[in-house]
Amino acid sequence: MDKGKCSHRWEMENVLYGYIITEKCFKCDKVSNYFTLEHTPPLEEYRDEEHFWNVMKSDQSFKFNLKCTECETVVDYEELLGLMMCTGCDKDCEVDVEFKKLEAERIWVYVAFGFLPIEEKVQLSDEKIKILEDYFNQRRRSPNSSIKIVSHTKVKEISTCYAEVIKDVNMVSLTAEEDIT
Amino acid sequence: MKLQKIVENLELKPLTKTEDKEIEGVFISDMLSDVMSSAKAGDLWVTVQTHKNIVSASNLVDIGAIIIVHGKSVPDETIEIANRFHVSIYSTSLSTFQLAGKLVALGLNP
Repeated sequence: MDKGKCSHRWEMENVLYGYIITEKCFKCDKVSNYFTLEHTPPLEEYRDEEHFWNVMKSDQSFKFNLKCTECETVVDYEELLGLMMCTGCDKDCEVDVEFKKLEAERIWVYVAFGFLPIEEKVQLSDEKIKILEDYFNQRRRSPNSSIKIVSHTKVKEISTCYAEVIKDVNMVSLTAEEDIT
Repeated sequence: MKLQKIVENLELKPLTKTEDKEIEGVFISDMLSDVMSSAKAGDLWVTVQTHKNIVSASNLVDIGAIIIVHGKSVPDETIEIANRFHVSIYSTSLSTFQLAGKLVALGLNP
């Protein structure tokens, strides 16, 4: 099929489970993260030129490609750290405005995050974000709801944002603690 | 199969506002990444997780309803977000294994 004319039906493929490692340089306080396929998350501190990296946390996660079942186009998501659902916490944030505008129509807004530092790592293109949005909407069955995915660059202040990236971190231990007490 | 039929048969306790809908399958996992990669729209998601992020993951892939097993308490924050995003959450004192057996007996498949 002509890839240019294909209406694309996306499916997830090449799903690989691993960890997102977030580290901080104790000299300059720069924060960086990356995805690793290692079976256990690396914890050792190390030096990389002028930086002295220390692991802050490791989150279980996965990476994947999307493949069109019609024209076999493959799109990789190497740049995607994760998705976050906007719950509307800052009326001055562009994403919050979008969320409030679409909430009544049950169009839920998600933010696609790239890896840190944002200015040094390759970030998701608008085209890849649109394909990701198409993929998750194609998976849906409810006729009266859909999702919209926007870039993290639209978030006014990530450090004070109330929402959280969807990830498997400390979740089991959090619930286990409740049971103990 | 209608969600309400499953709720009545298994005596599930609603923790949120609920909407009856068609349920076609069941997905069992405690990993959000599994849900994002493999759950199907309209699935019942059986889990022990109660963190508010279950609502985010559920909404993303159009999960039919969430069932929290082992009678685990669910934080108010999770209930509040679930209600806002029209995600139905139920609770049961059954274990994951016991609930899976009852769902299969009702005619639901993975």
